[in-house]
Amino acid sequence: MASVRIVNAKKNFGAVKVIRGVDIDIADGEFVVLVGPSGCGKSTLLRMIAGLEEVSGGEIYIGQREVSHLRARDRDIAMVFQNYALYPHMTVSDNMGFALKLKKAGEQEMNDKVARAASILGLENLLERLPRQLSGGQRQRVAMGRAIVRDPQVFLFDEPLSNLDAKLRVQMRGEIRALHRRIGTTTIYVTHDQVEAMTMADKIVVLHDGLVEQIGTPLELYDRPDNLFVAGFIGSPAMNFIDGRIENGEFKAIGGLALPLPEGLPAGKFAGVELVYGIRPEHIRAKADGIQGTVDLVEGTGSEVYAKLDCQGQAIYCLFRERIQIEYQQSLCIGLDPSLVHIFDKATGKRVVV
Amino acid sequence: MTHKILGRIGFLFAALVFVSPVVLFFLWMLSLSLKFEIDNAAYPPVFIPEHFAWSNYVKVFAENNFFRYFWNSLLVTGTATLLALVIGVPAGYGIARLKAQKSAIVIMIARMTPGLSFLIPMFLLFQWMNLIGTLWPQIIIHLVVTVPLVVWIMMGYFETTPIELEEAASIDGATSWQVFRMVALPIAKPGIVVSFILSIIFSWNNFVFGVVLANRETRTLPVAVYNMLSFEQVSWGPLAAAALIVTLPVLILTMFAQKEIVAGLTAGAVKGG
Repeated sequence: MASVRIVNAKKNFGAVKVIRGVDIDIADGEFVVLVGPSGCGKSTLLRMIAGLEEVSGGEIYIGQREVSHLRARDRDIAMVFQNYALYPHMTVSDNMGFALKLKKAGEQEMNDKVARAASILGLENLLERLPRQLSGGQRQRVAMGRAIVRDPQVFLFDEPLSNLDAKLRVQMRGEIRALHRRIGTTTIYVTHDQVEAMTMADKIVVLHDGLVEQIGTPLELYDRPDNLFVAGFIGSPAMNFIDGRIENGEFKAIGGLALPLPEGLPAGKFAGVELVYGIRPEHIRAKADGIQGTVDLVEGTGSEVYAKLDCQGQAIYCLFRERIQIEYQQSLCIGLDPSLVHIFDKATGKRVVV
Repeated sequence: MTHKILGRIGFLFAALVFVSPVVLFFLWMLSLSLKFEIDNAAYPPVFIPEHFAWSNYVKVFAENNFFRYFWNSLLVTGTATLLALVIGVPAGYGIARLKAQKSAIVIMIARMTPGLSFLIPMFLLFQWMNLIGTLWPQIIIHLVVTVPLVVWIMMGYFETTPIELEEAASIDGATSWQVFRMVALPIAKPGIVVSFILSIIFSWNNFVFGVVLANRETRTLPVAVYNMLSFEQVSWGPLAAAALIVTLPVLILTMFAQKEIVAGLTAGAVKGG
């Protein structure tokens, strides 16, 4: 086990700058998720840590050792790929023992370690099978087994669940988490799925356009997003963004809609500045004397009601956890909790509320 | 129902029309090899003779140094194929992994150039090197065709094997050579079988290179069969018998390897285990 430190890492593919100076500190034993939309550079960053991509600038440390220019096989890491990457001509046990075989480990040691990993993952009865005789979930487990057998300093996961169906994904999510709790190896996990990031991570790193947007615990990111990108990316359904300015102690949206401001906001300081008002759909309540709007869209799932409201020309999405009866084109009044409101500077995209 | 039967008959008829040229050649050759000269020259032609001329087959072995030529063919084909695989498989791997399309095209151009155009310069070269009279000129000149063949087949094959497998192996601690030997090569086995067989078929059947480069001692089978045509007379019976004997090893090999060929040629078409 080891910590991982990434200092000002850069990666260019020709003229294209994919990673533009990334700094991340990962503590020993931490489960860190790199998340971001496709093309943000998260997989490239992981491959740089693995040694599968050359580093164009900056340094990467595993423990105290700088590994920036070491070959993949000298970094003492294990990686689980999106498409499992199991050796198709080897049995499950040969797949899992491959690294030990290369290290010229003894037969006894190899069998012991493979058996231990197999028992952790419930693969004891599949050891003599070939990968093509396994289901998707089993293959995923074998890929994890191959990583465990190595007993590496760091586990790297590259979107390991995206080839699985929704139900299995939720199950494997739990299993990977449980595995981490049991083994405790430092883990870096790449996904584009923010739900996966929120449910699994000790710490989330949000990447966008090759830069770190924010690093924090799942709840920090949810409660206090640093900027518009993180605010829009974390949380499902996405946060409502309303453009406007502060006038007379109130937020005036462009269509004229007035919205309550959080307490402690130095309103005077932002008079006349173009701002963005952010409120999560699940933080909106039905309230008799609140802001009036017309229902444009209703989707009920049984556990919750998702609605789109038109409030003076401003579209506002709401998620009600209580079962309220609303219909298309009906009028509905909503209330916002000012303490759950986020205010961003429109020009810089940065959060302005203290 | 009748519609279905008619359709089936139509299909079989169409298949017959397409296949018949190939099959008829083969059957006619078989017929020739079993007829005496008098039947071979008869008009109207005789397809199944009254008396089978097994002596034609005996004659092939008796009148020629047939085993010597068979041995020559075996040596030339075996060595040329082996060398082609030893050179071509790693080359195909390198080109596929380094995405060296330009080298691939250069190799393709070497293959597109008509063999005859470099036959004469090569002949002079072999003469200068004192190789004429040995089997080496034939082996080397076969490589001009078989190496590009193997390179192109293997290149296509290695390109379809997912790079993640090799990345996984290198993370697992394998050197480049171990990645090639323990992961890439076993996965590419069907491709190797296909290039092996195609290379053997080419070498075994090659005539033009042999007829120019071989002398009486270094003839291969196709050249030997050709030499059965004499100035006085064409003895069709022994000629056909010899041709069938020459075809037989390749035929048997192909039949045994057919499964592998089909698997090799369709690999990568669908996502498999």
